Amino acid sequence: MRNFLSLRILDRFQFIFRFLGIEYEMMRKILAMKLTMDQRRVPTIFNQSKNKETGNQFFKSLGLYALYGLILIPFIVMGDHYVFQMSIVFGISMFILMTSMISDFSTVLLDVRDKAILDTKPVKKKTISASKIVHVSIYMIQLTGAFALIPIIVSIFVKGILFGLIFILEIILIGLFIVVLTALVYIFILRFFNGERLKDIINYVQILLSVGIAVGYQVLIRSFEFVDLDVTFHFQWWHIFIPPMWYGAPFELILNQNGSKAIILFSILALIVPLISIFIYALLVPSFERNLQKLLNNSGDNKKKKLRVDRFWQKVMCRTKEERTFYLFAIRMMKQEREFKLKVYPLLGMSFIFPFIFVANFLSMESFGDLSNTKMYLTIYFINIIIPSIVHMVKFSGKYKGAWIYRATPIQDQASIYRATLKAFLVKLYFPVFFVTSIVFVSIHSFTIILDLAVVLAVAFLHTIISYKALNNELYPFSQSFAFAQETNVANNILMMIIGGVFAGIHFIASVIPFGLYGYLVILIVVNLVLWQKGFRTS
Amino acid sequence: MIEIDTNSEKILSISNLTMRYGATNVLTGVDLDVYKGQIIGYIGPNGAGKSTTVKIMLGLVDGYHGNVEIFGQDISNGDNSYKQRIGYVPENAEVYDNLTASEYLTFTGQLYGMDESEAEYKAIRLVEKFGLGDVYHTRISAYSKGMRQKVLIIASLLHDPDLIFLDEPLSGLDANSVMIIKEILAQLAAEGKTIFYSSHIMDVVEKISNRIVLLADGKIIADGSFEELKQKNKEGTLEEIFNELTGFDQHKQIAEEVVSIVKEVGNNA
Repeated sequence: MRNFLSLRILDRFQFIFRFLGIEYEMMRKILAMKLTMDQRRVPTIFNQSKNKETGNQFFKSLGLYALYGLILIPFIVMGDHYVFQMSIVFGISMFILMTSMISDFSTVLLDVRDKAILDTKPVKKKTISASKIVHVSIYMIQLTGAFALIPIIVSIFVKGILFGLIFILEIILIGLFIVVLTALVYIFILRFFNGERLKDIINYVQILLSVGIAVGYQVLIRSFEFVDLDVTFHFQWWHIFIPPMWYGAPFELILNQNGSKAIILFSILALIVPLISIFIYALLVPSFERNLQKLLNNSGDNKKKKLRVDRFWQKVMCRTKEERTFYLFAIRMMKQEREFKLKVYPLLGMSFIFPFIFVANFLSMESFGDLSNTKMYLTIYFINIIIPSIVHMVKFSGKYKGAWIYRATPIQDQASIYRATLKAFLVKLYFPVFFVTSIVFVSIHSFTIILDLAVVLAVAFLHTIISYKALNNELYPFSQSFAFAQETNVANNILMMIIGGVFAGIHFIASVIPFGLYGYLVILIVVNLVLWQKGFRTS
Repeated sequence: MIEIDTNSEKILSISNLTMRYGATNVLTGVDLDVYKGQIIGYIGPNGAGKSTTVKIMLGLVDGYHGNVEIFGQDISNGDNSYKQRIGYVPENAEVYDNLTASEYLTFTGQLYGMDESEAEYKAIRLVEKFGLGDVYHTRISAYSKGMRQKVLIIASLLHDPDLIFLDEPLSGLDANSVMIIKEILAQLAAEGKTIFYSSHIMDVVEKISNRIVLLADGKIIADGSFEELKQKNKEGTLEEIFNELTGFDQHKQIAEEVVSIVKEVGNNA
């Protein structure tokens, strides 16, 4: 095992752990093992012979976070409305850090294997809990570091040392706050629920949280009034529930010498809440460990699910018996496979929000009456942006090892496997988002846009099959480990998203030509029919 | 013991089968003919190539050399309809366990060409027989190891296959279930089904197989009924025959060495 840099740094602080009665040597060994595991990835069954990529996936992803971090820079250098600017900066930071924390590191917090492996050894409970927290913290520090390092350096040069210092201190507080907050949410859930149900609830919370933070960020922006970039801040009682604003406040307090009550209150909250939450966490951790046992507890409902709606669509969408079989299978996987849901549902949620953000933005400047005369409904194309990402995700599953059945069974038409899966995606995941958004737009623009919506739907089908061709390489659905989900063709993914924009452009052009949309729709339907029939090459 | 009747229909024929993973030769030339109604006990040391052979026959692994014919059809000809008559229980109970037993069984049943209602009707009664009736609509992820194994066994039999591959099928099952499965296998073989059974539990193999095939270093080193093997090797149990044929006679010595190493821990502390 490598002698990790993070552990060598930790060695300098071992006195703290010893003081707290933690067996430092043991903790260090556990951490070394955990960090080594983080670096390795699970091999996939069908890809064993193919090029095994070595290298640390995690460090590569840190580069990506550094790139995200650049988004912060304009908000930092923009001006000196600190509450406004820094709230946005911290809003973005919290969003990125929390979603990564939830999507990548929940498995560490909720690892039940630890019970069988570590709890059976003569190691103190305290040491095991501590190693868990330190492990998560190391991850968080690396992540935060990669994300915030460049913005911090820039801020020191542009805004001075004092600004930089406040920034560093606050980003540390935020890191702490997020780790503890995530853990607290799990503690809370674990107390009240059981077994399979609990896993479902955690899954939903993870999904909700990811979407919720995205929405919260929008609320944050809307709580300021833009007037020629002259931002005015009026304190309202509900602002207190937007943590990023707490962290914007100290800048205002110290650098702008703004001593209003709200600013002082927020600054105090920024400092105190993370510390209090750590205290609460320490208090609750023993019961957390106890309740973690529930994850091992095997219990579940034993009720047959009625699938009337799914059966209806199954008959509408699929011709052959084989296709229907795979359709129902894909529907069930999408509904019941937690890891899949965790990766895919947040994407759906965000795509659902996007069009409304634009509508809200418009309404904040113009009247509702003006809105119905615009082509605002074209923002529905933002939903289509997630199509490539989800089509890409469909080949992964947390249960990928079950995929031997594809090859062990006498499947006549291999093409039907993917055709059915993509149809299931469109019906089960895309349709709900699309229809709800459509209803909203119809209520704004009246029924005159029905034709437009039909075109959008046809485009979605086309976009799906094109994405499949570009991204999926004939791999069976649900047959790859999510460990491989990141090392994919990013260029192709981005290209597919851009195609979404191109479709929106074509739509706009077609809509200004007389009868253009009718022609466009006919073309789309024909191309779809051909591609969905012939597009699935089989070997 | 049932005599091997070479006049009956040839179900499976492997000739000169070789397979490499990178630089390692997993199979170095396997020749094997299997006839209708046989229960083949397919045994061998860890890494001998047992699972690989089975996976090749099922079409799970490509890139082998040699000829594999099942039901008289070369399996490399691209027509996978031969799989229709095959049942398979994989090792390690790998399954889409986010599905319920009901969902999984009807799904696999349909993949083998059954109607959904037919699969459902058969599955529910089989599940009852295996004592899983009250968890039929529960997700498999909540099952114990033995229960998962039962689901996989049912899945392998649901479509009434003629050739059944079982890879360590009894793992995790309690003694009563083991008795049921053993009896099921015997009766299926009597009905003319062919069973290919790989396992490391020698006394089970000894009891249920009417033909034992021993694989070592990628080739077959013994083939015959238990009685035949016993006569040739002058040893009492299959376990002892296995040890002798694989050239392994140091178990005592290794055990002694292990124990002495284990005892060292106390000395260091």
